Amino acid sequence: MRPSHHEALDRWLAAERDDRSDSADIADAALRELFEALPLLAPPAGFADRVLARTGLQTAATRSVFASRVLRLALVLSLIATALGAIWLPPTLRALAGLWSLGDVVELGIWAVAAGSRGLATVLSVWDWVFSLGRTVAGPLMTPQVTGALTLCLLVSGLAFRFLRDQISGERSWNHVHPI
Amino acid sequence: MVDHVKTDAELVASTLRGSQEAFRQLVVRFERPVYSLVQRMIQDPAAAEDLAQEVFLKAYRRLDTYDPQWKFSSWLFKIAHNTTIDHLRRGVPDTVPLETEGDDRGDLSAVLADSSTESPAAASERRDLGRALEQAISRLRPEYREAVVMFYAHGASYQEICEVTGLPLGTVKTNLHRARKELAGLMTAAGWGPEAVKAGRTPDETGSERVS
Repeated sequence: MRPSHHEALDRWLAAERDDRSDSADIADAALRELFEALPLLAPPAGFADRVLARTGLQTAATRSVFASRVLRLALVLSLIATALGAIWLPPTLRALAGLWSLGDVVELGIWAVAAGSRGLATVLSVWDWVFSLGRTVAGPLMTPQVTGALTLCLLVSGLAFRFLRDQISGERSWNHVHPI
Repeated sequence: MVDHVKTDAELVASTLRGSQEAFRQLVVRFERPVYSLVQRMIQDPAAAEDLAQEVFLKAYRRLDTYDPQWKFSSWLFKIAHNTTIDHLRRGVPDTVPLETEGDDRGDLSAVLADSSTESPAAASERRDLGRALEQAISRLRPEYREAVVMFYAHGASYQEICEVTGLPLGTVKTNLHRARKELAGLMTAAGWGPEAVKAGRTPDETGSERVS
C-alpha cells in the first residue's frame, strides 16, 4: 500500500495534467494534503527562550559560542598558530637584529620621514591648486541669488530622494528586494 | 476537567497585562510557521533563526498596536514578510543553495525522517520527497514561494495572503496558480509522480539535479 503522501503527490500531479473544470480544486486539495503530511521546518531547540531573553522578559539563555564546531576549530588553530609564533619569534628577532644595526634602523627611519614629508608636500601643492581653481570657479556664483537657487535645488533633490526612498521602503514588494 | 486553551487574542491581552508565560505560549504556538516561512524565503537556516527572533521581538514591541479584528497569524506573517524583505534589501543575496547531501539543518527531509514507525526504505523515500519538494520550492520566484508556503503549508486564505503581501486578490490567485503549475513541472522533471511509477523509474534514478 502506498503511503498517503505519495497518493497526495500523484493526485496533485495528475490533476495538473487534467483538463477537467475541477482539476484546480483537486490539485489545491492534494497539495495541501501533501504539505500536511510533511511537518513544518522547526527552529533550533530553545528558540522561545532566546526570544524571551531578547525581549528582556527572561534572563539570557543564549547558546554558547563554543557550541559551534567551526568556532572551536578556529580557536584551536589560533592557539596552535600562537604557540608556533612564540617558538619562532625569538630566533626570528635575533636573525633580524643580526641583519640590521641600530644605525641602519635610524637611517631607515630618517629616510621614511623624509619620503613622507615629500609626499605630504606634493599632496598639499595639488590641494592648493584644486582649492584656488574652486575659488576661481565659485567666485562669480557667490551672489545671494545663485546661493539661494543652489540651496533650493539641494533641498528639493534631498526631499525628492527621501520621498522616493520612503515609497520604495514602505511598499515592501518582492520587486524591490535589492539593496537601496 | 478540560483545560481551556487560550485563543491568540486572549494570550495577547495577557501579554499586554505583563504575563511572560502568555508571550512564551504565543512564541511556541507560532515559532514553526514563522521560522518555516522566513527560512524558505531567505534560504539560510542560521540567518532565519535570527530573523524569526526579530519578527517576535517586533511583534512584542508593537503588541499594543495589534487589532484583534485581524487574525494574529496574519499580523505576525505581515511582520515576517516586512522583516524578510528588509533583510534582503540590506544586501544579502537571494541565493539558491546547492545540493546539501548529508546536511539536514533546516531541511524538510530531516524532519521527515523522524518517523520511528517507518521502514528504512520508506523513511529514505520520504526524505527524498521532502528534499525534492524543498528544492522545487526554493526555485520558485519569491512572490510565488511566499504564496505557496502561506497557502498550502500554513493554510492561509487568499484574503490573508492579500493582507500580508499587499497584493490584489486577482494577483494572489494568479501567483498561486502559476506557482502550483511551476512546482508540479519541477517535481515531474525530478522524476516524481504517476508517470515515473508507470515507467518503473524511481526518483533516485532520475536524480534531483534534473530539477532546473
